[in-house]
Parts: sequence; C-alpha cells; structure tokens
Amino acid sequence: MKRPRIGVFKFTSCDGCQLSLLNLEDELLDFVGLFQVAYFREATDRPLRGHLDIALVEGSVSTERQRSHVVAVRERTRYLVTVGACATSGGLQALRNWADIDDYKNAVYPSPAIIETLPCSTPISDHVYVDYELWGCPVSSDELSETLGSFLLDKRPGIPGYSLCMECKRKGIPCLLIARSAPCLGPVTRAGCGVLCPSLERPCYGCFGPKEGANIDSLLNVFRKSGLSHHDCALLLDKMNTSAYRKARTREGPP
Amino acid sequence: MKRLFKIDCLSRVEGETGITAEIRDGEVAVRAGVFEAPRFFESFLRGRHYSEVADFTARVCGICPVAYQMSAVHAFERIFGIEVEEPIRELRRLLYCGEWIESHALHIYLLQGPDFSGAESAWSKREYLPIAKRGLSFKKLGNRILTLLGGRPIHPVSAKVGGFSKLPQKQELLSLLPVLQQAYEESLTEIARVVCLPFEDNLMYMECISLSDPREYPMNYGNVISNGGVDTSMAGFLSMVRESQVEHSTALHSAMRKDGSESPYLVGPISRVNLNAEKLPAEITTTMKKCGISLPIMNTRMGIIARSIELSYTFSEAIRVIQEYEAPSRSCADFEHRAGEAAWITEAPRGMLMHRYELDHGGYVKDCTLIPPTSQNLALMERELRDFIQCHMDKPVEFLKKESEKIVRSYDPCISCSVHLVVLEGDKQGKTPEGISSDPA
Repeated sequence: MKRPRIGVFKFTSCDGCQLSLLNLEDELLDFVGLFQVAYFREATDRPLRGHLDIALVEGSVSTERQRSHVVAVRERTRYLVTVGACATSGGLQALRNWADIDDYKNAVYPSPAIIETLPCSTPISDHVYVDYELWGCPVSSDELSETLGSFLLDKRPGIPGYSLCMECKRKGIPCLLIARSAPCLGPVTRAGCGVLCPSLERPCYGCFGPKEGANIDSLLNVFRKSGLSHHDCALLLDKMNTSAYRKARTREGPP
Repeated sequence: MKRLFKIDCLSRVEGETGITAEIRDGEVAVRAGVFEAPRFFESFLRGRHYSEVADFTARVCGICPVAYQMSAVHAFERIFGIEVEEPIRELRRLLYCGEWIESHALHIYLLQGPDFSGAESAWSKREYLPIAKRGLSFKKLGNRILTLLGGRPIHPVSAKVGGFSKLPQKQELLSLLPVLQQAYEESLTEIARVVCLPFEDNLMYMECISLSDPREYPMNYGNVISNGGVDTSMAGFLSMVRESQVEHSTALHSAMRKDGSESPYLVGPISRVNLNAEKLPAEITTTMKKCGISLPIMNTRMGIIARSIELSYTFSEAIRVIQEYEAPSRSCADFEHRAGEAAWITEAPRGMLMHRYELDHGGYVKDCTLIPPTSQNLALMERELRDFIQCHMDKPVEFLKKESEKIVRSYDPCISCSVHLVVLEGDKQGKTPEGISSDPA
C-alpha cells in the first residue's frame, strides 16, 4: 500500500502541538514509517511539493499572509485536521479580539506602525473547511496518535466530547468544586487531558475548550455564590480558548 | 555588483525565521528576520491576576514552558517577599532539569544533529537512526520528569507562586533513578561522540553572559556575570539591556549598554559552560578533559558540545536531587500578595530569560516585560552570518544558503519564544516593506 502523505503546518502558535507529535517518541519512528512525511518544517528540510492526504494544522490565523496560506494548504489536502487550541479556537492570542489592537501594538513596540497583524486571531475553521478538530493546549499525544491511527484504518477517531467531570469521577478524585468551592471549569470543559489539574489538586482552567452544550452561565452562578466577582468569572473563561467559551455562552441565550 | 539571496523559512528551528543577505560592492548586509506573527503577551497580561500569569507565559513556548513559569513565579515571590523551603527549591531544579533534557535532546538529535550527517531530517538516513533513537530516549526521560512533577511535558500545570499545587511521592521519584543512571552513563559517551563531529574553524571573541550562583550550576538563582567583566544583580543587568525594534524583522533585538557603547552578547549553553565549569561534577569535567575539550569555547558552531555537556549534567543533577529529596512541610508557602515591582532571570535551556512585573494592590499586572534568550542572541547571530558571507562571497549561493542555515541552527534559536515580533521586512531606508513570503514552497 502506498503510504499516505502527511504535512504539518504552523500558523500563529507556540509550537507546542507540533512538539506533541515529536513527543510520541517511541511511536515517532513507527509513525514516519507509516506515513510519508511530506512537509514538517520543524523537523525536516524537505520542501512542500504535490498533494497531501492529511494535513495537521497548528496555530491560528492572525496575519494577512496566513489567510491566503491556509487556503493554499486546504487546496492541496484531502483531510485537514486542526491540532490544538490556537488552530481550533484562535488561542490565547485571540484575547486581542476583545481589545483595541492599536493599544496592544503600542504596549509592545516602539514603532507600532510597522507591525503587520490582523485585529483578530481566528480559528482555521473561520477560513476553510476543517475535517476534524483536536482540542487542547497543548493537544494530547494520545488523541493525536488515535487520530492518525484512525486515519489509517479509515474510521472516525474515538475521542469523547463529554465533560472533564466524567473522567474525574471515574478516577475517583474528590470534587474540587463541591468539596472546596474551587472555581473549576471541569463541568463545562471537554475531557481529553486525563484530568490533569484536579489530579494535581488545582481546578481545571479550560485547556480543552467548552464541551458541546455546556451550560456556562449556570456554572458561573455557582462561582459567584462562592464569592467570585463578575470580573474574575470573566477572566476564568478568557484564556487559551477565549473565543470558544464566549461563543458557547452566547449560544446558550440570555441567562 | 549586487547579489541578493533569501532563505524564506528555515527548517529544523523552532518557529519561523528567514535570512536575507545582500552583497553590494563587496559589502555584506545580513538580516535575520523573524516573521513569526506577534501574539502580544505583554499587552494581554496587563490586568491579569498574578496567579494566572505562569499559565499564560508558559504558552510563549512549547519547548521551554517551565522557563517561562520559573521566571514568572520567582519574580512574584520577590515582590511578595516569599522564601520557599529548600525541598521546593530543589524540586523546581528537578523540573528545570526535565526541561533542559527534553530541549537539549531535541536540538542535539533532531534539529542540529542531522546537519553533521548531511541528512534532511533525523529519520531520513538509515545510519543516523540509531543516534536519533538514543536522542529520543533521552528526550522521553526529560518528559517523564516533567510529567511526574507537572502532569504533562508541554505546559505543565503544578508550579505556582509559593511552591507547587501538589508534591510528588518520594517513591515515584526513586523509580526514575535506574533509567536516569543509565542515561547519564550513555550521555557521557555521547560527549565523546559529539566532540568528534566536524566543526568549522570559527574562532571569534564574544561576550558570554550567564547567571552565576556560588552554590550550584545556575538555573533559578544567581548574579549575572560575563567574561567581559560584567558582575551585577538581575535587576542591574535588566537596566543594562536595551531592546530595539529593527525594521527588517522581528523580535525586538537586544544589546547591552557597556562603557558607553552597545554590544551584542551570547547567552545559552556555551556561555553557561564557559562561566560555570567549576560547578560541574568531577566525572563530567574529567570526561571533558579526556575528550580534549578546552574552555572557554569561543566558537558558536560548538554549541552542540556545550549542550551535550549540559545534558550529562542535568542527568547527574536530577539523580542528586532525587537521592537527597526530603518532602517539605507543605507544598506551598503561605503569603499575602502586595503591590510592587520586581525583575527575575532564570536560565532557560537557550539562555537567560528575563521577566519584569509591576503589580497593583489587588495583585493584578500593571506592566510587564519579557526578554527571551533568542532576541538577546539575534544581534550576534547576524554579525556571525555577515562575517561568514563576507569571507565566502565567491562561493555559490546554494552553498552560502546551506551554511547560513547551519549557523542559525547552531544557535538553537527559539523563534516563537521571541515574544515581540514583527512580520515584515523593509529596507533600512524605510521604504515600503516588501512582504516576506512564508509560502514554504
């Protein structure tokens, strides 16, 4: 069988999700045996030529040049998969979407006029059709290899869309929200991290974004009853998946 | 006569960067342009609570998130007057060892290593595969340490102001010892292998700068010293650094103000090894002597040697910390936040990472500065590229391109680290910038 051609692309990001691929370590050399790595700038010099069977896209779109680049990637790709919070929901650089971009530029650069950037950082799906989305900041190596394996078997990846609480209960971890009144985003956040934060005795801060049908306002009411201000509640959602949580809130309708 | 060449997007470096070289009448102008899109960390951190900052700054870089957490939490601890217990100090050192191992192994074996075998990637040549495998097993071990202490290797979650959210069990730590011991022994023989790689003769004077701590090889504490007579506190050094914006690229470039002029300098493994060799364990210095490594290393191409020495060191240091570890009385110190300002520097795998924060009474960030190691090295890297091309002007462009890429790679630049970034390239007279094409074709 001909090995499928895979490409790994980077937009605005920290490189952490690409690194998750290199972090497969034991499986990495198997992976490069099963796929033909046609493009992966972080790991190989090979220039991009021809079409791809699957493209893994990291990072959000935040510059003019990236808008055309993402279309170019889509055009040569059969299956486009976004990996991680930036590509799937715009990332923490989307915090600029709710601010004045000129203020942001002025704060960092002595000559802000020459900084070329879009006023908003947006997910890949705002620009092109996306076949599959992987959440997480960073994406989990397990979900990544599940997705790649599923592609080879021509099946849908077995990645759950339910909340973190489900996994947390299964692991038997005492509920931080109930037992300690900690502002844990677990009830509204996708599972996928392996219950990282609650296992380490800190509340979930939303790396994997909102689960489908999350009732966010109801959770925020609980936080407010335990003494959190409106402002602090808003800050809890405005992190790596700020766009996605805000969108999920408006979908719920008025509280 | 005018010649121009451009490398649009370098491979096997972390992040996106390009080089433009212009040769006109025998004069060379080189611009190493970072065209990573800006993410405005210093802007959106304003108004955020100190307790969230380490989670944010970690996201500057997927390869060295711990460095960004460490510089941040130490700066806040300085503002609040917190002294952490000795075991917490040691665990943070172990966490940092995990990151140095993971980052150094990545660079030695997957990014720069293939250059010496003429390979396009770590897996493209059969004869390089055993070396790549060894590198991956080192990297995996670094990631295991990070996962044990912080839950996951990329953006770990347990480090916080005052200590950790949860401490590891001594038993879990001890379970790492046999593999660490084996890796340490292998890493010593790796120093001997790396020394024998073919290096360009490229001796040049450079001002090496690193932290220096009388107790130990520097990571989280110390003063800033150099081979050019700098010896100052962290805050003192921060006031010596001038960041400037250069049109053709990039991350803000840093230079050091000294004796009335501005000079480029080098941070990272070469600087640390040169300035702190006496803190390395005897077994490693003996190996270095046996392999014929003489200090100081004054050739940036030999960064891979310094990195291999540090890889060995971090294995032995991780073993020491685990063997001596006694659990502290609590995982996190009690403290109250207060307004104030502080700077802190820690040694990221790629060199000194400077953070400065100003907090208001509620514990929210009023102002901050992050200066990553890569932007500190950019000026020196450009100088070296210029000198190299000047000496080899008569060679074909393909040769110049390949070699220039190798020079950049030997600095192990971490481009997504360069926090403040510009996406364009214009010429020095300030004409309309021509967009750099990122099209990776």
